[in-house]
Amino acid sequence: MSEPKIKLNTEWLSVCGGCHVALVDLHEKIVDVMKVIEIQRSPLLTDEKGYPPAQIGLITGSVRTDHDREVAKAMRASCDKIIAFGTCAVYGGIPGAALAHTAEDILDRVYLNNPSTDSSKGVVPNRLVPKMDAKITPLDEVIDVDLYLPGCPPHAAFIFDALMSLTKDRDPRAKEESICAKCNRLMKKTDVSQIKSVMDGMPDEDTCFLSQGYICLGSVTLNRCAAPCPQNGVVCTGCAGPMPQILTEPNRDIRTEVAARMSALTNIPPMDVVNEIEKSAKSYYAYAMASGMVRNKPTFLIEKWIEQVEKV
Amino acid sequence: MAEVLIKKEACRGCQICVEVCPTEVLAFDEAEQKAVVKNATDCIACLSCTYICPSTAISQQDFHSVKNFYRDLDFSVKAKRYL
Repeated sequence: MSEPKIKLNTEWLSVCGGCHVALVDLHEKIVDVMKVIEIQRSPLLTDEKGYPPAQIGLITGSVRTDHDREVAKAMRASCDKIIAFGTCAVYGGIPGAALAHTAEDILDRVYLNNPSTDSSKGVVPNRLVPKMDAKITPLDEVIDVDLYLPGCPPHAAFIFDALMSLTKDRDPRAKEESICAKCNRLMKKTDVSQIKSVMDGMPDEDTCFLSQGYICLGSVTLNRCAAPCPQNGVVCTGCAGPMPQILTEPNRDIRTEVAARMSALTNIPPMDVVNEIEKSAKSYYAYAMASGMVRNKPTFLIEKWIEQVEKV
Repeated sequence: MAEVLIKKEACRGCQICVEVCPTEVLAFDEAEQKAVVKNATDCIACLSCTYICPSTAISQQDFHSVKNFYRDLDFSVKAKRYL
């Protein structure tokens, strides 16, 4: 008789749902997964609405409402091991970028003063919807989390490796490497002296974006995606969250690390890069700013940077 | 003695490690456009190259690890639980 399958529950909180779709992106590999894992409860895949006991629980998304909080606690109570799955669950992700605004501002923009929808009735939904928190909270500040798999979404290869390592009780093969380790562009010294916007010109296909004057976050971002963006002409926006050295070392930061490398490759002064990133901090820090590991850094001054840009 | 290891497939050829090394341990191989270890015995394990390498291609082995008391300890524990 074959061994009993490992039971898996999944749940989503405040999130786009892409991480659940990424599970299905395993394609034929999902057949191997289903041989050893039974998906009991999953918003996209099963009809089960309760929380039956399970060995593994995948939670995607961050905590923004009362509903998110209750659901996260129900998952914690029903699962032996909880995995924070995807950047939103690990760091707060894109919903975490709302840290830069108050809840009132957001409701006003979405329901009352939105230029692209009819808001003439002036109604903010307040019945049958869960109460919205004042701010986004990453999952591990609400419940205990056993394991973390960042990525927006994590590439199917990393999901497969993570699930298989759990079922076989071995260490996952994923390493602490940056996006640059998987990008084929050549980093070379250039005479570029000005930072370019992604809208400026056509970047060379074989040369590193930093060498060409485009700000790319590849060198400060953990590889959980296999670097599809920079290899297809798009700068890395840092969606899998910062490298561990940025999170553990208080004197290292996204802007200073990028500035050090970019100024070594080009003639652009490091402070120009730092200032440029601070000017668009809401974009460059979007994925991880809700996490205490970034939010509580003494050098992370998002309110000051936003004020400097928006007061003019 | 510290041993410097360079993952060839990860090296992007930026040469920043060669410039940052205070003891000229590293050199640049023009033919391959990759960094190489030239004077391994001179390494003082300052880890400057490891930290600056954009592609995490450099690692050190067999060096005396200094306890960084200023580190974010909560995250250092968490980092071991990444899949």
